[in-house]
Amino acid sequence: MNVMMDTAIFLGKFLYYFLESVAFKIIPRKKKDVAGEIVLITGAGSGLGRHLAIHFACTGATLVLWDINQESNLETCRLAKEKGGMKVFAYECDCSNRQEVYRLADQVRKEVGDVSILINNAGIVTGKPFLDIPDHMVERSFHVNVISQFWTCKAFLPAMLQANHGHLVFISSIAGMVATGKLSDYSASKFASFGFAESLFIEFSLLNKTKIKSTIVCPYFIKTGMFEGCTTKYSFLLPLLEQEYVAQKIFNAILEEQVYLLIPKFAYFAVVLKHLISPKMMIVLGEYLGMDTCMDSFKGRVKENEPQDEMERKCQ
Amino acid sequence: MSSNLRSARKLLVFLAKLLFSILEALIFVLIPRPRKNVAGEIVLITGSGSGLGRLLALQFARLGSVLVLWDINTEGNEETLQMAQEAGATRVHAYTCDCSRKEDVYRVANQVKKEVGDVSILINNAGIVTGKNFLDSPDELMEKSFDVNVKAHLWTYKAFLPAMIANDHGHLVCISSSAGLVGVNGLADYCASKYAAIGFAESMFVETFALKQKGIKTTIVCPFFIKTGMFEGCTTKCPMLLPILEPDYVVRKIVDAILQEKLYLYIPKFLYFMMFLKR
Repeated sequence: MNVMMDTAIFLGKFLYYFLESVAFKIIPRKKKDVAGEIVLITGAGSGLGRHLAIHFACTGATLVLWDINQESNLETCRLAKEKGGMKVFAYECDCSNRQEVYRLADQVRKEVGDVSILINNAGIVTGKPFLDIPDHMVERSFHVNVISQFWTCKAFLPAMLQANHGHLVFISSIAGMVATGKLSDYSASKFASFGFAESLFIEFSLLNKTKIKSTIVCPYFIKTGMFEGCTTKYSFLLPLLEQEYVAQKIFNAILEEQVYLLIPKFAYFAVVLKHLISPKMMIVLGEYLGMDTCMDSFKGRVKENEPQDEMERKCQ
Repeated sequence: MSSNLRSARKLLVFLAKLLFSILEALIFVLIPRPRKNVAGEIVLITGSGSGLGRLLALQFARLGSVLVLWDINTEGNEETLQMAQEAGATRVHAYTCDCSRKEDVYRVANQVKKEVGDVSILINNAGIVTGKNFLDSPDELMEKSFDVNVKAHLWTYKAFLPAMIANDHGHLVCISSSAGLVGVNGLADYCASKYAAIGFAESMFVETFALKQKGIKTTIVCPFFIKTGMFEGCTTKCPMLLPILEPDYVVRKIVDAILQEKLYLYIPKFLYFMMFLKR
């Protein structure tokens, strides 16, 4: 009897939410007002982080920018203020260092207030065949791309829970849903970030009081310099994305409180397909879309004043 | 004009390959794949001191493989060794190894290469779980989860993959979890680590495939909760669809998948449907 009741309730809820999601495909969700919110962006010194900072600058939110590169971070700060940001704070931070994250989080709490929108964006990529990647760089990929997110969430979630108000944003990657060659460490770390974000999302939507939102973003390659040299075979299906376009989409997704965001839309189809087809079919499809050669001419970021073979320390 | 022809040809080649692989997949749904013979293969199992690792060792013992057992727990590992010998294994080697420590992995790997030979089947099975709410999980334990469940795979691959590539012969097995496919409440660090294990194994599959090494296989296993004591206390609401699994059943399925060189194995079958729904 219990099983019947349970199943009936489940089916009812399932149907309701299915209809709701269909409805929202047609009617766009309302965008929330983030004026006065405190938005923290890791890896704000360049690329996506910078573009997101500029977007939020125009909304009246308070910006807290973290990056390992203080120079670029201050530049983002300046740009954000130019665009109308009233309160912008820049801190130098190596997110992979747990103590540093906690220390700076305390500082932010004192100097700015409780962070209500946390955007875990900082990321690095090595881009070599796995056996050619030095061990310390493999470890670093994990520490910056996912383990740092454990620390930032631990630092800022308690206050969000207490206020029952907050939004966690995770910038993962398509490589976090579909594995790619020459990106083994990056892919693994982005898979982990995705899994972590999803786990937290479930943990907080199962707790009764939960106005804590989650947004998990999985873009294809973006032209930020991070994936310089990558190629794509069919740009109408899987284009190399423009930063501005991606930042706009992410910004909108946050305001609409969307949970998953895959860019471009073809990625949704590719991911569904991945789970339907056999491995050989997956390989064949990958070959066709140029996924096997996309990393062949990868160069990544090249810093002007550093020798070419030095380890990439820049967070995106 | 010629570039159009080239694109058209590429499209045709793709469609032909696609059709072929669809047919192949369909055929193998009906006729089970042939199971390979692993007698004499050197099988390395991490976390062989208990649970799934031990049962896998016993299965491979019966199949005539050479066993290399790694576990952080010497006592448990020695017990597995004895059981394996009783089950018929003629060559079994047990090593104490903390897979979360890179130096340990490399040191013991070198020992194995000298004393036993080139590992041809690598089963990354060692795993730990904290199982607390995220904010209640101590930082060190979260890092340790990652070290054992993911980083250990990085080091074992680095240690054993080169020889597999040189011989164009090897099989990489990743014991992940259904928690590596779907986020789970109270398992944030475990989920992240199991997702990473899948991502890594998949990425390496693509890389080894790109090397045109047909001899290197990959199998990624995602079971639901298994009654090994690791998830003691966990409950399932719908045992018909998502049962807490019996270890013997799981092990038989895993060994079967390895012998058939399957890429993915989700246990129970309901997970395939769930994953499809999820997407």
